[in-house]
Amino acid sequence: MDTLAKLQILSGAARYDASCASSGSKREGPACGTGNTSSSGICHSWSDDGRCISLLKLLLSNDCRYDCAYCVNRSSNSVERASFTAREVVDLTLDFYRRNYIEGLFLSSAVMGSPDQTMDRMVRVAETLRTEEQFGGYIHLKIIPGSSSELVRKAGLYADRISVNIELPSQASLQRLAPQKHKDAILAPMAMIGREIASSLVERKSNRRAPRFAPAGQSTQMIIGASPENDFQILRLSQGLYKKMNLKRVYYSAYVPVTDDNRLPVLAAPPLLREHRLYQADWLLRFYGFSAEEILSDDAPHLDETFDPKTAWALRHPEFFPVEINRADYGTLLRVPGIGVVSAKRIIAARRFSAITPEGMKKIGVVMKRAKYFITCSGRSFEKPDRPATLLRQQFLIGESSALALPTQLVLPGIFS
Amino acid sequence: MNRYLYDGTADGLFSAIAWILEEEPDPQQVALAERKDTLFEDGFFISTDATQAEDLFFRLRKQAPDAAHTLYSFMLAEKEGTESSLLHYISLAFIHGDKVNGHLTHPAVRDIVSVAKKAGRELHRMKGLLRFEKLRDGAYLAKMEPDHNIIHPLAYHFSRRLRAQHWFLYDVRRRTAARWNQGALQFGTIEQFTAPALSDDEKKVQALWQAFFKTIAIPDRKNPRLQKSNMPMKYWKYLTEKQGE
Repeated sequence: MDTLAKLQILSGAARYDASCASSGSKREGPACGTGNTSSSGICHSWSDDGRCISLLKLLLSNDCRYDCAYCVNRSSNSVERASFTAREVVDLTLDFYRRNYIEGLFLSSAVMGSPDQTMDRMVRVAETLRTEEQFGGYIHLKIIPGSSSELVRKAGLYADRISVNIELPSQASLQRLAPQKHKDAILAPMAMIGREIASSLVERKSNRRAPRFAPAGQSTQMIIGASPENDFQILRLSQGLYKKMNLKRVYYSAYVPVTDDNRLPVLAAPPLLREHRLYQADWLLRFYGFSAEEILSDDAPHLDETFDPKTAWALRHPEFFPVEINRADYGTLLRVPGIGVVSAKRIIAARRFSAITPEGMKKIGVVMKRAKYFITCSGRSFEKPDRPATLLRQQFLIGESSALALPTQLVLPGIFS
Repeated sequence: MNRYLYDGTADGLFSAIAWILEEEPDPQQVALAERKDTLFEDGFFISTDATQAEDLFFRLRKQAPDAAHTLYSFMLAEKEGTESSLLHYISLAFIHGDKVNGHLTHPAVRDIVSVAKKAGRELHRMKGLLRFEKLRDGAYLAKMEPDHNIIHPLAYHFSRRLRAQHWFLYDVRRRTAARWNQGALQFGTIEQFTAPALSDDEKKVQALWQAFFKTIAIPDRKNPRLQKSNMPMKYWKYLTEKQGE
């Protein structure tokens, strides 16, 4: 099989991995080599589904021993199998990088033989790139659950980011749909990676030449809609991963039906809106100071489809509003629908010079269409603040009707990060 | 309101601004424009002094480095008729330091910051969207037609990235070029451009990239509108993956 045919099989098999981030790592390139990384990350193209392409996303092999129900590459599925040699992946990466197609390599793999054998072959690709070819670009390695800690450590020394996929939001679902994978085999390397990253940071404070361990941190991914967990369970899981394991990102991937296994739900289309709402809620956890318990509860465990989670929270908490734009602190501003991280910072910078007027709000970039129900500007309100919550909800629906007509227009937040 | 004129060069502009900041009690009330060769133009002409211009930039960089950076990005946009805004912005930057960029309700600050942001955004975008082709002699060539004159900072970016390669950037519309070879970066203009021959394996590598670009998209999630909003069609002309579409 030639490289082109392999590339088609093995990039097609990798496309369900959501992560494309190339940010969070800053490395000067070696003088005689190729590549550096910039801390903001760079997108190089956008594919036909509108997602950014930053990394050459590949499986080393799709020849899998495991039989996970939700996966195209499960052993019982009759798809064409292929495996790259290390040299082929190295050459592809360099050929693409030199033409500025990509920011680096994202390498994952099906489990060939044992987890250790697979992980060893993947680490060897990264090692060849870094040591033989002096490659300074971005490398993201997937960790195969069950591989030895020695190999995980090696992976962290060559890669900018490493990630272990959590796959499904609970042990019960894992048991049912991916019987060869076990929660502990996933969480143990995550915890170990978290410790290694932390100790490498401490070491580098006292010794600048100490080796860097996964400088762009670790991330994970889970499939949404293939198992029965509700949004509240999922968000609490993410919250735990961010707080306890120090993860940089949790990716959510709407389940795309790839098989008619009777353990899986029958879906007319991938649950894209649900995925979108989860990303919005995830942003609230990481950048807006919300907790999972504020966004959802056991009584209302699903994210609202009509409203984004922040607006839904605001509608449930009329006592918090209106917020006075010229006095409120950063954390309070962030809770106003229509005000994001950027506009909250701008408001604080701009009011040093003069009080902000309603005109100024628009110029700063606040989405007044949404914010006007929740704010006052130097005491002046835009809408009657004493309106009962149910009425406000209705008003909001009418005001937003143009946006609501297009629920399929989904923009993943932070796709650039 | 006092009105001043300068000769239309960048040095002229900044030496005029330096002069006004020195001589005028309230620069916010002053207008500055390029001298056109018409008969009755009113305004006092300030002659160009390159050392004054350089000195102004140096002082600004020291007192307000962020503002100096904004100014640099602004100049990439090659926008005409913005001299008064620039003057007002710089005078505010000397008063408030880097905090000036937060003064978004001031019209001059808003003008300068928004244009600078656009230029900066295109620069960042081109760092990703630029495509090199390998030539027969082993060097790499990338052609582009950006809205802003970003070849300098863009070439700098690639000089840190593709250090072991011999490469050229070519701005087709402005006819300017950058060249990196063995640790040296040079700039120049190209009068007559003839497309050089590609290396033998170039088409093969391009076909691999085009195949990757096609297969990496999830068919159930096709979204051409989102693709176009992230990657406007004006950039497709030189994108390897968009050839022949």
